[in-house]
Amino acid sequence: MDKLATAWAIFQGLLLEAVPFLLLGVAIAGLARWTVPPGTWIERLPKNPVLAPIIGALMGFALPACECGNVPVARRLLASGAPMGTAFGFLFAAPVLNPIVLASTWAAFPDQPWLLVARPLGAFLLAILLSLLLVQLPETQLLATALLEERRMSQPLSNLGLLQRNSGVIGGSPSTPRSISGRRPKAWQVLDQSCREFLDLLALLVLGCVLAALVQTWLPRSWLLAVGGAPTASILALMLLAVVVSVCSSVDAFLALGFAAQITPGALLAFLLLGPVVDLKLAGLFTVLMRPRAILITAVGASLGVLLIGQWINLWLL
Amino acid sequence: MLKRGTLLLLWGLTLLWSFHSGRLDLLLRGVFHGLVGVTGLVLLMLGVSILLKREKQNERWRWPWLLSGVMAALVVILPPSPSFSDLASNRPQGLPNPPELAFVLPPEQRSLTEWVRLLRSQPDPDLVVGNPVRISGFVWRQPQGPPLIARLTVRCCLADATPAGLAVEWPLSFTPKTNQWLAINGTMSVQSRNKRRIPVVIPQNITPIARPERPLEP
Repeated sequence: MDKLATAWAIFQGLLLEAVPFLLLGVAIAGLARWTVPPGTWIERLPKNPVLAPIIGALMGFALPACECGNVPVARRLLASGAPMGTAFGFLFAAPVLNPIVLASTWAAFPDQPWLLVARPLGAFLLAILLSLLLVQLPETQLLATALLEERRMSQPLSNLGLLQRNSGVIGGSPSTPRSISGRRPKAWQVLDQSCREFLDLLALLVLGCVLAALVQTWLPRSWLLAVGGAPTASILALMLLAVVVSVCSSVDAFLALGFAAQITPGALLAFLLLGPVVDLKLAGLFTVLMRPRAILITAVGASLGVLLIGQWINLWLL
Repeated sequence: MLKRGTLLLLWGLTLLWSFHSGRLDLLLRGVFHGLVGVTGLVLLMLGVSILLKREKQNERWRWPWLLSGVMAALVVILPPSPSFSDLASNRPQGLPNPPELAFVLPPEQRSLTEWVRLLRSQPDPDLVVGNPVRISGFVWRQPQGPPLIARLTVRCCLADATPAGLAVEWPLSFTPKTNQWLAINGTMSVQSRNKRRIPVVIPQNITPIARPERPLEP
């Protein structure tokens, strides 16, 4: 019973800390939709498979939020017809490449300058790697059904037929009709849609927090840190810890500070790189963006990428 | 519209209630409290504005929204009551480097966390032998050996709570109960336990206390 009470408290802590950031992300996505006319700057984004994720990753500096807040913004980018590489580059890099996270990493590890370079650089490389990997899939196998329909409504008919849009003279009405005429939507419409989006994401966040709290309560963290000194095992253990703990990227450096002395440098960097991209709290939120197969590819690709980066750091620094 | 508005209102009230009731002291670091309160207020205002608009649209309850509404109600009804000892046992002890303040403060003004930071930063525990100790914390049971007196520190929320514990030479007349909060007045000494010399608090006075309003330390 004690463990259940503890899990309930951890759940509340995770959820109440994440909700403000989720609302911030939805608000920014809504504001962008309202203030920036569709079909202008989105069309100017580069479609080059390498340049697109680089631009997306750099856009992270505009949103000083953790990973929960980035999901609605990435979804809005995809729904507006932005190149997929840009949206995924943003999704995976922005939780680290933003001023608050970089400042907190510096505050936690002022005596480890290599980490202040390696964390943003690693996040940047990981975002490009994952974006390049994901865009190999066709949109129909990559994006969640509702998002795919919304995205197709924002693309010109020269690129897509009416049948593919599931709209127009042939086919049914889209669930959320959008204008592609470049006119600004009404504020009330944007607010209404943002509220619906927030509630959808909140329900998924609740599920993720339940999962994270249960696993955290029944999996002793000391088991994961017991392998601290072994180069590869320590990286794997800290990657698992990052997935389980699900703490937001703006404070994970302070958490890592607590056990930094017991683990290898590669494991420390692996913890700081993987958590913002893949964790239990995010599992539900990702379903509004991607199909299960694409989520699996993201998780496996991110894990392998982080493992390689961690190993390289251990070879370099140990 | 009614359902969307109601759910936003419910979550707004839940966050505001969590902020107002002081339970956030048990869940989050202080810097996040205001953020939760403001978010609650925004959600409340959104909910009210949607309800006042009264547009007649057929909006079905989606099951994820229903689940979310039930969880919001449960958060209000069931306050958090974690086992501090379980939380501490599940985490490695690893506090950040000591702030300079811990060295400057007179010994009797150091909190338990400051004592632990100080002792970890200096390898020779004999330097503090005889210093007066006035600390409070919860009883943290150990798988082997007597329980410690401990506090939890957080950087973000309860999920990252990290324990700081001190050994105590418990008097024979006193049986510490797991999770019980105690105030201890005594002196610092050094004893050999498991072939290691470790700092141990020799209590002169042990008083059971209620859980502090802010049990988590930064």
